[in-house]
Amino acid sequence: MFKIAEKTELNQISLTGVRGIVLVGLLIMQPRSLEEIRKAFIELNIMEDENSDDILRIDLNTLKIMGCEISRASAKTNFKYVIGNHPFAFKIEDDEITLLKKAYNQAKSHADLAGIISYDDLFKKIASRVCEEDKKEALLGISVLKRYDTQIIKDLMLDCSQGRTLNLVYKKPSSNVEENKEIVAQKLVFQHDKIYLYGYDLEKKDSVVLLVNRIKSIISRKLEKTEFEQHFTKVRFVLENADFSELQDGEVILSNNENSYVVEGNYHNDFLAMQRILSFGTKCIVTEPAAFKEAIVTKLKEMRESYGN
Amino acid sequence: MGTKEAVKRNQSSMQVLKTLQLLLEDNYTMTELIHKLNANEKEPIFNNSVVSKYINTCRFCGLDIPKIHNKYFVASLPFGIDLSARELDLIEDLQYSVKNTMSAKADELFSAFLGKLSKYSNKQIIRVEPKTKQQAFELFDRAVAEKRRVNLLFRAKAVFECIPLRIVEKKGKTCFNVIHDGKEKTISAERISGLEIMDRRFQQSDDSPAQDVVFKLKGALAERYTLKENEELTKNERPDSITITNRGERKEELFARLLRYDSSCEIIFPLHYREEMKNLLEEMLRNYEA
Repeated sequence: MFKIAEKTELNQISLTGVRGIVLVGLLIMQPRSLEEIRKAFIELNIMEDENSDDILRIDLNTLKIMGCEISRASAKTNFKYVIGNHPFAFKIEDDEITLLKKAYNQAKSHADLAGIISYDDLFKKIASRVCEEDKKEALLGISVLKRYDTQIIKDLMLDCSQGRTLNLVYKKPSSNVEENKEIVAQKLVFQHDKIYLYGYDLEKKDSVVLLVNRIKSIISRKLEKTEFEQHFTKVRFVLENADFSELQDGEVILSNNENSYVVEGNYHNDFLAMQRILSFGTKCIVTEPAAFKEAIVTKLKEMRESYGN
Repeated sequence: MGTKEAVKRNQSSMQVLKTLQLLLEDNYTMTELIHKLNANEKEPIFNNSVVSKYINTCRFCGLDIPKIHNKYFVASLPFGIDLSARELDLIEDLQYSVKNTMSAKADELFSAFLGKLSKYSNKQIIRVEPKTKQQAFELFDRAVAEKRRVNLLFRAKAVFECIPLRIVEKKGKTCFNVIHDGKEKTISAERISGLEIMDRRFQQSDDSPAQDVVFKLKGALAERYTLKENEELTKNERPDSITITNRGERKEELFARLLRYDSSCEIIFPLHYREEMKNLLEEMLRNYEA
């Protein structure tokens, strides 16, 4: 971080000034003990081995006079000096936070989960240099992952890439009851500001979609692959007057006419297939399988009933 | 003697730190720096050679302090925020969003913010300079007449699909008036590098500004529904139902979303939206009558 000083260079500059800046930098990076500061100063050639620790204490006092809040090195702080509020902190204004939030809300609509995590890391990194607590909170609050444990998400991404079997505790959205599940992790999806784990439930022998923020803990991970036979919901439909860019992963065009496509979609389960087909509105007509087509008609009738005559 | 010497050396350290503090706050000429630093002293102690020495002290510590247009400024701080290449990309993406979809004032504020962030970072953040633009008024008018969507190309990376409305004059500048992401925007032609007419046509109803929509959610969905940023809870009858007011979501997107909620959702207001949803469902049902 800092370069080692050559004795000749020190004639052109202020040595105590160098020590002041280096000390601020060292303490901003992490809490340090007097011994650690001394060691760093000697390594950088800005303090002699024979110099007394009083020099360091004076340097610390100088920072305090400059407005740095530096806690005493006590047993409570593991005998390290901890810097609190200080005049070299990054100052961010409310209108800047509002603007960042607006820009982020637009940018996140095009971002994948890795991007969303990177944004979260970015806001955390900037917030770590902000001293004012309310501004720090507001900055951290921009991220849609503010209520998520991002480490769990990062771990789950790895689990999905390895197809690991997880023994986890899940709080059901419908009943708020916690239950143990054995799930083969398959895919993490960021959709509508929420993160979903797509997987296979080994007990129910069915595909499942879990809300990641409802995963209370992961009790264990099985590294070896688990064999299972997965059922996907396959739906064939005609899509009229639509842009093929509207299609998502798992949907392929089988054929196309002037104004329509015949599409085959593979969905994780019936529920997601139903949601997807309904979201196309009138542009979509399900052709196969007959049972799913029937289910769509029943659902539409049920929905239509809500609006009376 | 030792104590006196120590105080003397501390003062020098303080003066260097004061110089650093000022340079972190803003960009200054040498004269401005001397003036500001002396303002809090009983007698002037800062002069050209002293401040030069302090700036060099900061530079020695690894601070990048260039002098451009006679002004000194901190371009990066060795112990500053350690931004990765990926994070610099994200910052650039945020800047594109601001530049291309928000007002000139917001753009200015964001640039100032980036300038400030750059001072507190250990890397220089790339600032995007305005690019030259191509005028495409004829194409734009044709798109309006033919009811075709357009792609506005701001810079090489940013392309926004819009519904063209009209060409307007604003503060002496010619601007494209469009709907993007459900919101009406007036974008100066100077900020556009190109325009593309798309094959996709837009509906007349797409022109109308998005409005408040009230809908009701029932059952399990009502219990677990998380309000979006543009929504508020109008009535809470959990666990049976909740009523939500949605503001400003584009109709097409809102309808697609509400359809996904299937029979757990019912539009309450406005009545013509309710009627449209009813008609939409009937039309969807007719798709299956054979």
